Amino acid sequence: MALNAKVGAVASLRGFVRQRVNEVGLLVALLALILLLSTQSENFFTPRNFSAILLDAALVGIVAWAATLVIITGEIDLSVGPAVAFWGVTLADLVTNFKVPFGLAVAIVLVGGAACGALAGWLRARFDVPTFISTLGLWSAFRGLAYFFTGAMPISIEMNPFLSALVGRVFGIPVPAILMFLLFFIFYFITNKTTFGRAVFAVGGNPKAAELGGINVTFTRVAVFAISGLMSAFLGIMVAARLSSGSPGAAQGLEFSVIAAVVIGGTLLLGGKGTMTGTLLGVLFVTVIGNGLVLLGVNSFLQDVIRGGLIVGAVLLNLIVARRSNNSGVAKAK
Amino acid sequence: MPKSNELIAEVSGVSKTYGAVQALSGVDFSISRGEVRALLGKNGAGKSTLIRILAGVEEPDVGTLRINGKSLQGAGVRSANALGVRTVYQELSLIPEMTVAENLFMGQWPNTFGIMKLSEIFDRCEKTLSEFGLDISPRATISELSIAQQQLVEIARAVSSKPSLLILDEPTSSLGSGEVDLVLSTVKAISERGVAVIYVSHRLAEIRKIADSVTVMRDGQIAANLTIEEATPSEIARTMLGKLSEERASDMAPKPGNKIAMNVSGIRVGNKVRDVSLEIRTGEVLGIAGLLGSGRTELLQALAGLSRVSAGEIKTFGIPTHNKGRKVTRRLGVGYTSEDRKSDGIIAERGIDENLVMAGWKKVSSLGVVRSARLRKTSENLISDLNIRTESPKVLIKNLSGGNQQKVVIGRQLHVGSRILLLDEPTRGVDIEAKAQIYRLLRDLAAKGDAVVFVSSEIEELALVADRVMVLSSGAVVGTFDAPDFNTETLLVAAMAEPES
Repeated sequence: MALNAKVGAVASLRGFVRQRVNEVGLLVALLALILLLSTQSENFFTPRNFSAILLDAALVGIVAWAATLVIITGEIDLSVGPAVAFWGVTLADLVTNFKVPFGLAVAIVLVGGAACGALAGWLRARFDVPTFISTLGLWSAFRGLAYFFTGAMPISIEMNPFLSALVGRVFGIPVPAILMFLLFFIFYFITNKTTFGRAVFAVGGNPKAAELGGINVTFTRVAVFAISGLMSAFLGIMVAARLSSGSPGAAQGLEFSVIAAVVIGGTLLLGGKGTMTGTLLGVLFVTVIGNGLVLLGVNSFLQDVIRGGLIVGAVLLNLIVARRSNNSGVAKAK
Repeated sequence: MPKSNELIAEVSGVSKTYGAVQALSGVDFSISRGEVRALLGKNGAGKSTLIRILAGVEEPDVGTLRINGKSLQGAGVRSANALGVRTVYQELSLIPEMTVAENLFMGQWPNTFGIMKLSEIFDRCEKTLSEFGLDISPRATISELSIAQQQLVEIARAVSSKPSLLILDEPTSSLGSGEVDLVLSTVKAISERGVAVIYVSHRLAEIRKIADSVTVMRDGQIAANLTIEEATPSEIARTMLGKLSEERASDMAPKPGNKIAMNVSGIRVGNKVRDVSLEIRTGEVLGIAGLLGSGRTELLQALAGLSRVSAGEIKTFGIPTHNKGRKVTRRLGVGYTSEDRKSDGIIAERGIDENLVMAGWKKVSSLGVVRSARLRKTSENLISDLNIRTESPKVLIKNLSGGNQQKVVIGRQLHVGSRILLLDEPTRGVDIEAKAQIYRLLRDLAAKGDAVVFVSSEIEELALVADRVMVLSSGAVVGTFDAPDFNTETLLVAAMAEPES
């Protein structure tokens, strides 16, 4: 029995390391990157710059946590960038032009965000509409509506204590960053410790087996998209606070950063595999690279090229590592 | 053995038809508490239908089904579950990236308000696994386990809910011979707890180790219920096959003067093919017989250059080709068709013509531009040579019958000039008439000087078509027979035996 326990412990330790290969590698890469940038730019390793990095990270991270759940179920949500802009615009429009009480406007935005997300999840669950298509549709529609409602001009919004708090700092740390970490712990808990979180993995890993096991696959699919929509709407409010207006052009390309962060974090686009910690590291990695490129004075168009190369390289690396560990798994079975 | 006369499941007078096919007719079957019953029969004998009816997947047309004395009205997996029936099918349904414990209680995780009681989940899993003497960590993820361990987790999951009837559908077919014992001892432990087990398998050595009794099915009926002492290989083979009319091609028998196309000596592929030697000769059909999991597909893939051998050598027309890759074997004229026609064989949304020439576009194009006249001529020739029934070469291949699709897949190999044809289960999912046409095609190809290797799990068709038959069991050659010195029965008896280890 004692021997069994020991063998089991060794096996699970080995499993732990193998499963964490990606995260450990990413952490090393992140530290190396920070070290490199510190030697290259004297403005990098400063409290001021770190606070800027955290603020940037918050804009990506808050949506990336939800996107991790979506991608683990084997789906994708492309609509996040335009959704952030649309819900920011909606908030400003409701408050400034329609004189809706602020609290009610926030509630409408959050519920609306969850509902639009749920719609994409439902179309997938009920009619097998690929979420690549339904959220591509939302991507176009949200941005179009945001410009239509505003006539392409930002709608200013009067700051109130709530919005001011969202752009404030606590002990010098930007509030959005604090919210990002808080939400991270909530999402970490959901994925690892709740039946819903485990159902997400089961649905992404083998929907048929999950269904046979009594998991409500339809609910799971609808719920992850509702959560993704909710987080986009919440980020929309935060961005509106930061700009003190609803801007139709906000959060351009956010979906790229979010998907890049999740994928660099080791989450499998095919579903069934991924971790929140990986996404956290992915978010920090993407943000630090972006920050570093600016500090080093790299041409802003070239920055996009480098980001593009990075996401493909990260996925390639992931696949090579996965193939290696797969092969060793087969060898062990034989 | 704590076997009692208390009946766990009782099927009486059950019949079932699918369209025009009578899958079961008037079947009576019963199993007692603690009994392990082996269930045997050829493909299409009705085993699967019987299992599906017991599991509640299908509803019988007539007849009754009682589990633990309660009758199961209508089909319903859930109601069969509630009465204590659990089934483990061949394909595994575990989630690879989740832990053993999470898979064991899939969807039914102990929780408070949606928060997992992880320690309880692991404890209960540990307890279940140790009850059956399984040395698997509850915290390991499924993807770290061997196939045998995964199979055991699947069985443990089925028994963790304390069923009264456990149905195992060929549980050892994907396992190497060393891993089989693990499954057998687990099944034994389960039956000693009073669970009735229906064990579908054709490996006689396994059956002898764990079964109390044997039921043989044939043509939708129970052909015999035997005690384990009565169940000799020849008795089982006779019962499975019934009366056969064997019409053989007249020209069968190895012919002197045939050249050696492929010479295989002592190859090993993982633990699936062990020390296999054989000769493939031009101008004849070599049949390879073997049950599910005998290593027949793995052997063929190694010959085709699709997988690596860890020992031994393969010479194709005298040139060593083992571990040289598919490109080399293809250049030497080795053609291969997979047993899974749908996923590995056809491009469903393209025409017959494109499906025929896709391995050799060069012959119908110049400088990369397809010559439509040449494409039409070439595909029309192949269509008439192979007797493919279609109005036009442009018809999408998905609209053809299985037999005609198979001819296209073989035709593709002919188009690129293959002289050695390795055909894995070419008659799977094909109707009787098309089967006869494929047999004729194989004979014609041999007659024109090609070397044909015909792998089939339907042993009677090897007896009809092959000049020589090699029988595989658990990855080893257990017999080689030359026509006319064999028939279906001798081959089946050989295939059910286990090799000496």
